[in-house]
Amino acid sequence: MKNFLIPLTALTLCVSAASAWAASGTVLRNDKLYSQPSATSTVTGSAAKGASVNILAKQGGWLRVSSGKTTGWIRLLSVRAGAGGIGGAGLGDVVGAATTKSDPSRVVAVAGLRGLNDEELKQAKFNGDELARLDNWAATTAQARSFAGQSGLAAVNVPGLPEPRPQQASSPWENN
Amino acid sequence: MKIKLMVLAVSLASFSGMSAGLDLGKLLEERIKQELNKDKQSQPAPAQQPAPSPTQAPATAQDAAAPPPPAKQKIDARQLGFALFGDYSPEEEMRIGKQISGNLLGAVPLVRDDKLQRYVNLVGNWVALQSGRKDIAWHFGVLDTEDINAFAAPGGYVFVTKGLYRRLTNEAELAGVLGHEIAHVSQKHHLKVLKQSSLIGALGQAASSKAKGSDQAVQNLIGNGAEIMARGLDKNAEFEADRIGVVYAARAGYTPWGLPEVLQDMAGLPAKDNRTSLLYKTHPHPAERLAALGEAVDGRFDAVRGKELADRFYRIR
Repeated sequence: MKNFLIPLTALTLCVSAASAWAASGTVLRNDKLYSQPSATSTVTGSAAKGASVNILAKQGGWLRVSSGKTTGWIRLLSVRAGAGGIGGAGLGDVVGAATTKSDPSRVVAVAGLRGLNDEELKQAKFNGDELARLDNWAATTAQARSFAGQSGLAAVNVPGLPEPRPQQASSPWENN
Repeated sequence: MKIKLMVLAVSLASFSGMSAGLDLGKLLEERIKQELNKDKQSQPAPAQQPAPSPTQAPATAQDAAAPPPPAKQKIDARQLGFALFGDYSPEEEMRIGKQISGNLLGAVPLVRDDKLQRYVNLVGNWVALQSGRKDIAWHFGVLDTEDINAFAAPGGYVFVTKGLYRRLTNEAELAGVLGHEIAHVSQKHHLKVLKQSSLIGALGQAASSKAKGSDQAVQNLIGNGAEIMARGLDKNAEFEADRIGVVYAARAGYTPWGLPEVLQDMAGLPAKDNRTSLLYKTHPHPAERLAALGEAVDGRFDAVRGKELADRFYRIR
């Protein structure tokens, strides 16, 4: 039960990000590691917020992660994929930006996929034809129920989630 | 809530008389007159405010209109806004949503794929059934852009971009994304934004509005084109939509992990990608959303089982 996942320095994070890009992740909150993807299984350790991990597998709401010699299952929502750290504009983003700048072919590739922007939306003119098209595709409640039933989907009673208490002053967004 | 809506509908019906179409302009005028009268009368006897309906619950509109300090001008824009838009009728909500959606579709057309659009409407309606908003005719559409994003407008309009749809791997993920947008509608997040914006400009032409295709009165209310879609919502509204969206998906029989999987996928994308620039301008970063959702979910879904339905998921050619 020791905190074996010690948050790494930015420098070592940078090295690990380069070697295992696709499978790297960052722990978002202090959480336990389990021997199985189940909270009733044995606790094998704990992961500290900010620690970097390798994501090995995924099952339902669980991820199998490793750090050094230790592996275990952790809740899906306790880890983020990518090497961006616990905040948004983290290390992964810096690496991404650097790659984009240093590799001209990549700039073209990314720029070629033009995204939506404010100005386009601002200038948008009402299109009644498209709206009519949208109407034609609309489904009725009866059709939706029948569609659900075809795959064995049935309504389940799931209670709503509580609003978490306000986070402490340190927002992960601002840490970076 | 239901009762309140009904009461509201009745009071609105009395404004618009027997005409089938609701006249927003007339409604605005009436409410302005009420507000002006209230201002005069409220000084000696605040208890005798003329309310739209004596049976109306003393909720948002009344409470919100009361606290602002004495207006320097004749009409305080903010106070007036609250007074006018403390509540929207389902008809008004639909009109607003229709205008915003028509504008959005002017910027980005729908993907010409009947099977895809039909499929998304069936999944969307099934998830929306879990929202409890039965007064809405839901419309779902896939937008023909590689941008990675999803949009909701009042009145049950929900859009997913082709760029986002392509990244999905099963129906549960689609249900999660749609659940998030459906939550924006059920919680009336965009209406709350409109409620807070200055509405002076909207009032001038409201009275002369005639709703045909494009709706000038509503257009004045929502600003330029589909600009409201680029402005985004409060961060907490996004976190709330995540919390509610996963629950809607789970109630529909899907695994609750669909939306988290999509957020994980987006968290792995480089930030300097044009396809996500608008998404990140209007939403907290996926890592932040995952962390906030994790706080709320914790072990609460441990016993929830649901389907992924990867086989039935419609893949874009």
